[in-house]
Amino acid sequence: MYGSSRLILAHFWAAFAVFAVAIPLGVWQMWVRSPLHEWLPNPELYYRAVTAHGTTFAYVFPTLIAMGFGYVACVVSLGRPLHSMRLAWLAFSLVIVGAVLALATVAAGDASVLYTFYPPLSGSPNYYLGILIAVVGSWIWVGLMISHFLRWKRDYPGLPVPLAMFATAAGALLWSWTSLGVGAEIIFMILPNAYGWIDTVDPGLARVLFSWTLQAIVYFWLIPAYIAFYTLLPQAAGGRLYSDKMGRVSFLLLLIFSMPIGVHHLYADPQIGAGFKFLHAVFTGMVAVPTLLTIFTICASLEIAGRLRGGRGLLGWVAALPWHQPIVLASAMSLVMLGLGGASGLINMSYALNSTIHNTQWVTGHFHLIYAGAVVIMYFAIAYEFWPHLTGRPLVSLKLVRLQLWTWCIGMLATTLPWHYVGLLGEPRRMAYFDFTNPLMAPQAFWDSMSAISGLILLFSAALLLYILIASHRTQATVMDTPRLSLAVEPPRSLPRSLNSFGIWILLVTALTIANYGFPIAQFLFLDNSSVPVYSVEVP
Amino acid sequence: MTPKGNQPRSGDGRFAVWIGATAGLFLSTVVVGFVWLPSAQPGAAALDWWELICSAAGWPTESESFYPNIAGTPASTVSWTPATRTEMYTGDAARGASLASTCKNCHGSDGVSADAIFPNLVGQSVAALYKQLEDFKRGKRNADVMGVYVSDLSGQDMLDLATYFASLPNPFLDKYPPESPDTALALQLIEKGSPARGLAPCSACHGPVAFTLGAPGLQGQQRAYLEQQLRALAAGTRKNDINQQMRSVARQLTDAEISQLSVYYSTMPQ
Repeated sequence: MYGSSRLILAHFWAAFAVFAVAIPLGVWQMWVRSPLHEWLPNPELYYRAVTAHGTTFAYVFPTLIAMGFGYVACVVSLGRPLHSMRLAWLAFSLVIVGAVLALATVAAGDASVLYTFYPPLSGSPNYYLGILIAVVGSWIWVGLMISHFLRWKRDYPGLPVPLAMFATAAGALLWSWTSLGVGAEIIFMILPNAYGWIDTVDPGLARVLFSWTLQAIVYFWLIPAYIAFYTLLPQAAGGRLYSDKMGRVSFLLLLIFSMPIGVHHLYADPQIGAGFKFLHAVFTGMVAVPTLLTIFTICASLEIAGRLRGGRGLLGWVAALPWHQPIVLASAMSLVMLGLGGASGLINMSYALNSTIHNTQWVTGHFHLIYAGAVVIMYFAIAYEFWPHLTGRPLVSLKLVRLQLWTWCIGMLATTLPWHYVGLLGEPRRMAYFDFTNPLMAPQAFWDSMSAISGLILLFSAALLLYILIASHRTQATVMDTPRLSLAVEPPRSLPRSLNSFGIWILLVTALTIANYGFPIAQFLFLDNSSVPVYSVEVP
Repeated sequence: MTPKGNQPRSGDGRFAVWIGATAGLFLSTVVVGFVWLPSAQPGAAALDWWELICSAAGWPTESESFYPNIAGTPASTVSWTPATRTEMYTGDAARGASLASTCKNCHGSDGVSADAIFPNLVGQSVAALYKQLEDFKRGKRNADVMGVYVSDLSGQDMLDLATYFASLPNPFLDKYPPESPDTALALQLIEKGSPARGLAPCSACHGPVAFTLGAPGLQGQQRAYLEQQLRALAAGTRKNDINQQMRSVARQLTDAEISQLSVYYSTMPQ
């Protein structure tokens, strides 16, 4: 694929390799703390596994997929090769080196600080350094995407940048801006502590900086899924994209509103004023807008496809859709999970309702449904869509692919919906064991067992995914078409500058971030006695 | 900001609409979140506009009207600031030894007391010993017995004494009593706590898993002393634990648990 197949395949294989390690850890965690297993003799093992699972799925797996798929979107939509393969390989190597360093430190038991590594918990500096190296690697990718975007605009002045490239650039800009929060936290607060240069840390400031990253990182994970909705799904369904401009508006809204809203993770933090919590709550509500626009546009595109295929009547077009196509099936499953997870997210972001579910298993249920469900199933669909083009070999069996998607969707729903329920019953998250003999907790035993058993379905589905990808890579090579992206019903010939560039929008994001985060961060410079000694979890 | 390229200028008006709408949303949210909502809180009538905005921004205010009825005294005069923490390393064990002869009459020459009602001083951190001395001296802990001994001690004396006793070899280090059905309840509390009651495991603060600053070590402690202190904390007659940390735990323990915990800790083999 424009000479980048090896690079892109390397990203996907590395991503699915860490996936293969981290999925069994997640399943194991659910199992050992469920009533189906004895209490762990040492809770440290549980937290070590949670840290490895979370670190992999927050910083490594989605970053590799977003980078790999970014290269796909770039070369396919622009129709020309990458201009700097060396930098791209350097970025990849840094992500891998960083991931190995961080995960090896976790495996050694020196950094069981969970993937959020909230101070004053403190682990080995190698863990934080590993994450930082991986993030720096992804910054090179950000630079590459922006430079491809700008070069294309320079070479074709006045023409609309293809939607896939426009959206990838939006995702890259979003990531560059949002990763600054955790970058600053690690560089200026955590590493100096972990190396012992300073002996206290301000947990409030660290949490505010982390929240800068914590919400928008999810949209960085989500953007590849949205790009697939807009640029792969309509064509695979046999139709066209309902509106190219609506896509651009959605990606711009995601860029603008996903950033200045992270304080809704800190509703229980005493350091932040109620006014700022309210401000972030309102802006969090705004990110529902691009998602609703996307759901509308995608359903309209699917209706066009269904009617072109002969579907009649109010809902007849639904039955007429090519459900055997992996990406059509996966997108429908993704939208169902996005709808349910989005609804539980509205509870999380509501300032008053949040107190009911704060730090309960509900929250874990919410982000697994959105990310591990709605987003990751689209990662699978993207891999299935491009695997033949990247390897030059057809998929080994579409039937197995559909079985894999069904088991993932059912497994994830059956894992996370019970989590929501036990969260409402008050079960805290991040606990190594529960005393189910206690009458207060006994009603949760059935639902926790259900989640643990559903985890086995997910384990099966993950193994099936790996089998399909490996087996397909080993079939007989054939000649494959060049991949193509969906056309819009009315492809734009020229676009207003507001839908074809980022300049002003970057200024708007910066201004909003300063308005929403400026005071909550700056106040820490003037508060006395807000720093505390760190608490090391390193094995002595 | 002008993007590169010669694009048609037809879309420029949209920037103004978008930015205007975003700014409008921001400003109306600020009015609601920083003025209207705080003014609707109970007790807000006494605050002026500036105080309302400060309260919504989370900025500490010195205003009298903001904290109308806060009374009470702190549980302890010791607080674990970075400065106190550093001070804990400045004691002189040799000087402490010269002051310790009176202490040893009751607490034992090697820090292990001969009478179960007097606590062992061995196996404690400097911070734990210093805090109790300071609390006795300031009247934060019942000083019927200890009062006469601490009243003349200076801050440096207490620090030196604490440093001396903390330096004594601990015969209970890494020792555990044999498992017994009589202490199964206690072992559960020590290792796992009681999640349903919100009780953290004893060992998470008192060792051996971890020690929080100022928390005493319990390995090998005297049985009668432990039992008496847990009951005093449960009844609220001892109240020098910062933020009621131990009172809120002890209140929830059953008689059987208190007694088992005391037995468990006091039967460490030497």
